[in-house]
Amino acid sequence: MKTQLTKNKKTILVIEDERPLLEVVNEKLLENGFGVITARSVDQVFNAMLDKNNLGIIAASNIKQALDHLENLEQVDAIWLDHNLLGKENGIDFVKKFKANGGRWNKIPIFVISNTESSETIKSYVDLGISKYYVKSNHKLDSIINDINLTLN
Amino acid sequence: MNKNQTISISDDTIFKLKILAEEKESVRRKLIVTAEKLRLKAKQLAITAEEKESVRRKLAITAEKLVATAKEKESVRRELVITAKKLRLKAKQLAVTAKEKESVRRKLAITAGKLKKSRETLERKVIERTKSLEMARAKEEAILLSIGDGLIATDEKGQIILINKTAEKLLEKQSKDVMGKIFSETILLEDEYGTTIPLDKHPVSMALLGNKISTKNIADTIYHARKDKSRFPLAIMVTPVTLEKKVIGTIKVFRDITNEHQIDRAKTEFVSLASHQLRTPLSTVSWYTEMLLEGNIGCLNEKQKKYLTEVYRGNQRMIELVNALLDVSRLELGTFTIEPKPVDIVKLAKSVIHEQTPQMDYRKIKFSFLPEKIPIIDADPKLIRMIVQNILSNAIKYTPEGGKVEASISLADKKNIIFKVSDSGYGIPKNQQDKIFTKLFRADNVREKDTDGTGLGLYIVKSVVENSGGKIWFESTREKPGTTFFVTLPIKRIISE
Repeated sequence: MKTQLTKNKKTILVIEDERPLLEVVNEKLLENGFGVITARSVDQVFNAMLDKNNLGIIAASNIKQALDHLENLEQVDAIWLDHNLLGKENGIDFVKKFKANGGRWNKIPIFVISNTESSETIKSYVDLGISKYYVKSNHKLDSIINDINLTLN
Repeated sequence: MNKNQTISISDDTIFKLKILAEEKESVRRKLIVTAEKLRLKAKQLAITAEEKESVRRKLAITAEKLVATAKEKESVRRELVITAKKLRLKAKQLAVTAKEKESVRRKLAITAGKLKKSRETLERKVIERTKSLEMARAKEEAILLSIGDGLIATDEKGQIILINKTAEKLLEKQSKDVMGKIFSETILLEDEYGTTIPLDKHPVSMALLGNKISTKNIADTIYHARKDKSRFPLAIMVTPVTLEKKVIGTIKVFRDITNEHQIDRAKTEFVSLASHQLRTPLSTVSWYTEMLLEGNIGCLNEKQKKYLTEVYRGNQRMIELVNALLDVSRLELGTFTIEPKPVDIVKLAKSVIHEQTPQMDYRKIKFSFLPEKIPIIDADPKLIRMIVQNILSNAIKYTPEGGKVEASISLADKKNIIFKVSDSGYGIPKNQQDKIFTKLFRADNVREKDTDGTGLGLYIVKSVVENSGGKIWFESTREKPGTTFFVTLPIKRIISE
């Protein structure tokens, strides 16, 4: 979990398992003036830094980090989400969990950018109320960021 | 003598005279009696004469009658003569006929002999032929019954008249239990979701109406439910059996395609996996080169930019190829889903045109678009986009620099939309026109030129168009340079005018 935030800027939560892709998206968003929070799994988003050590104890420093993370999460304006993620859960699981929080989180636009093209998967996302679905290799970074800007403004 | 003369007469004489007188009296009396008798006799005679007269009269009448009878007899006799003559004639004729008859009878007897012989020969032949036919039939039946695929034949009422061993085994039914039963009631089929296929949709019912029914692809698989509720997918082909243009029955061939199903599933899974695996590195190359080319990481010199542009283009081509291959596998697996929604075709076409403007500008193509007013209709925008994109990009790709491309959309009639794209390009060689829609085919004239293409575009478009119930064709002649492509698509439902 990596956080680069700038005050008064829009913040994007990027969840993408492929490290090179995560890096390039992060870079591009920062360059476009966004604040960025990145994660490679669903678990990282919700349980960031709260991993218990082998004695089953959460370190105090970790709790501090986790609280910061939660605070950051509160500021998220939009989500860049991949379907296939590290860990057992995929993007659909994330959307379900995220939407379950209700309130403001329910209204945050979610952009799914994945290489999966199965109509079943796409339908699941659309049914969950995401903003747009992109087939990753068919879109330029610029065009996706353009759409995000249009939605947020 | 007088009285005075008295003659003395003796007594004797007196006596004598007395006796004489007495005798005279007796004679007179006798005479009276005789007269009396005579009168009687005369009376009798008179009576006899009368009787005689009456007899005579009667006789006369009888004689007259006899004459009449004789006349009649004569006339009858004459008639008899005539009849006799006729009879003689008839007899003669009959004699002739009899002769003829006899001759015919003889001939008939000969013919009968011949017939008998030939009948015997025929009988022998029939027996031989029947034997060989029975052998052939038994052989054919044995062949039919031993076919590795399930086979069931029905009559025109849909009653089972033949079921082979494989069918018995596959359906877990005995021939004796199903023979003569109505097929569609005995052998139940169900769809993907376990719903029994209704009688009127049953392939055999459809075939009885004269249609040939077969499962085209995995997508519309039919299942057969066994006794123990387990089921297996079938590939099915039901053909009407026709004799003198009348359906006299059906023949159904089917097989268990569980294995094919599993293989197919594995294929689909592989395709889906491969798509993800191939696209991830392609996205990485694409996005990193995008960043570099836009100078986000620092300025590049012209040569670096040029080289990187080639990398980017190469990668784009790879992405297109992967997309096309995925489309082809989806089409071939029957997993290409059509998701209709209200579409403004003209607007959609304009957006595709907009995307291709850079290529048109690059090749200095003079482009014109003439859309008619088209109502909003139910269609799958993804597929419409695919069609327009392919046809338009081909026109641009295969037209030399400075050429002309014209596109139009109009209503062909009330039920069809026609999309037309003409170019002033290289055209399609006459001898290769029949291959232009085949997979991975590229015409010689464009391969020789510096153009790139996968050979999949038109194959995909044709499949998509035909899957949507439309038609695609083209015109390319020597007289007029270039090619014109036509696509018609049926209007399933108008959403708004």
